[in-house]
Amino acid sequence: MKLLTHNLLSSHVRGVGPRGFPLRLQATEVRINPVEFNPDFVARMIPKVEWAALLEAADTLHLVEVPKGPIEGYEHDEKFLRQMHHVLLEVRTGPSLASLATAG
Amino acid sequence: MAALPTDSGWWPAAGARFFCTAGRGLEPFLMREVRARLAATQVEYISGKVFFTTCSDLNMLKKLKSAERLFLLIKKQFPLNVSSVSKGKIFNEMQRLVNDDPESWLSAISIWKNLLELDAKEDKLSQRDANPLKRKVEENDIINPKKLKTKQMQELQESRECQLEKQMEEATVEQGDFLTNREKSQEAFQNDVVKAVAAPNQKDLTFRVSCRCSGSMAKTFTAQIFIHLNDIYSVVGIPVFRVPLASRAYIKTAGLRSTIAWAMASLAEIKAGALVLDPMCGLGTILLEAAKEWPDVYYVGADVSDSQLLGACDNLKAAGLQDKIELLKVSVIELPLPSESVDIIISDIPFGKKFKLGKDIKNILQEMERVLHVGGTIVLLLSEDHHRRLQDCEPGGIPRNSKGSHTDEPGIEKCLNPGGKTDLSDTVSSSAETGGQGDLDKMPPFGSLVPVDHYRVSLGRTGAFICRYRKSPSSGR
Repeated sequence: MKLLTHNLLSSHVRGVGPRGFPLRLQATEVRINPVEFNPDFVARMIPKVEWAALLEAADTLHLVEVPKGPIEGYEHDEKFLRQMHHVLLEVRTGPSLASLATAG
Repeated sequence: MAALPTDSGWWPAAGARFFCTAGRGLEPFLMREVRARLAATQVEYISGKVFFTTCSDLNMLKKLKSAERLFLLIKKQFPLNVSSVSKGKIFNEMQRLVNDDPESWLSAISIWKNLLELDAKEDKLSQRDANPLKRKVEENDIINPKKLKTKQMQELQESRECQLEKQMEEATVEQGDFLTNREKSQEAFQNDVVKAVAAPNQKDLTFRVSCRCSGSMAKTFTAQIFIHLNDIYSVVGIPVFRVPLASRAYIKTAGLRSTIAWAMASLAEIKAGALVLDPMCGLGTILLEAAKEWPDVYYVGADVSDSQLLGACDNLKAAGLQDKIELLKVSVIELPLPSESVDIIISDIPFGKKFKLGKDIKNILQEMERVLHVGGTIVLLLSEDHHRRLQDCEPGGIPRNSKGSHTDEPGIEKCLNPGGKTDLSDTVSSSAETGGQGDLDKMPPFGSLVPVDHYRVSLGRTGAFICRYRKSPSSGR
């Protein structure tokens, strides 16, 4: 799944997924999937990002060039938006079909 | 748009007149769509068809999402008068329907050709004119006028009866030279139109004609004519596309009917940057339709069934939308999403026996309400049963008691009358399910989900309701 989705899911319960499933990411499972850059879309996603979870994920996956937080005037900062675009939409973990089946 | 002269004819400056068939209940959506997408004018809806005028070309016409089929209008008239039982009279009327105003046929053909960019050279034109009005069915097509009518015109009132007689053939031969080309086609056309036995006798067999051609026969015909005769109008048209608009090239395996899925998405007020969730996405039809129309949006689909999700995944890949739509295997009653994180929810609530009314629906709505932003929109497709139950307990100032309490009392009591039980037992409908266990007989919509509007639509054999809710800021939770 995209890191954006992972971010959304992991902010539900900090550090732990639903029903006690840790949403741990594994560095071995990362794929980069090129996606067309759409600055408007990325700009709108920024407010939805849970930064702590994102930075933790980025760390686990050894991603570089990850902004530490929203910067002032990010909506017009193409460099920032492109970095976020890459992190949120092009980095994929695991198979595209995320299985978060609840335990038991 | 100025008139465009071409070799084969002319393009009217004001645009061409079309009509579409649409599933029952989708007509208002279609009218809105032709106005928005095609800048259509003179839009009217009459008995199962939407008529409109537009200058749009084929590429734009192809994008219509809430229509079944699209036709170029040849003529639309008052209904044939069948008050007299004289077959001859009816016959003459039909003849007049076809023969009168040849200009309307010719101009429609010429527009049609322009639309399809057929070769407009003179010699080919004259050769083609011999058979432009005959019906055609290509080998692989199952286009069948009778099938068209019965499938789409559920309100078709009567079948018309006419008797084929020699005098008709003679009558057409008497037409002037102007119509020479059409004579042969007239005969064939009228041969095709109707055959029947004496009218008033109920026991006699009466039928409409369907004409199927394949092989070399099919290749001689270039066009198809569609006719619908009922008590409201007589309409003649040419289908613009071989394949119905409702059959989408980008959907590999359809779940919900694509026109309904699009209509639901169109109600959801999707804006760029929104997070749209379908928590029971099945094969993903709704998300596909939405993502095609509103691409700058973050779509998430969820389902508990592996097979459905695999089908959805296939569909996404086939449509090239796998970057736009995320799929999760999670349950709608336990969504791993933060509260108030979703902007829009669109879903087809499963009908039928598998889903028990009452408690299940309650949990589903509850979870949907939780994850939705205040001000967010929910659009659901509900069976008639679900809708009836939700309707019987509209909020409108009704005080909500404990939310989500699973007590033994039917929920409606809490909703309407916290005190008295007996008052309501009369009003509980007889179709209520097991009352005993604490299942709700009626489901109160949740305090902050306010119904906005609903539309009754046909799903073929059954009906359903598209219902829209908005989450308002709730008090006392």
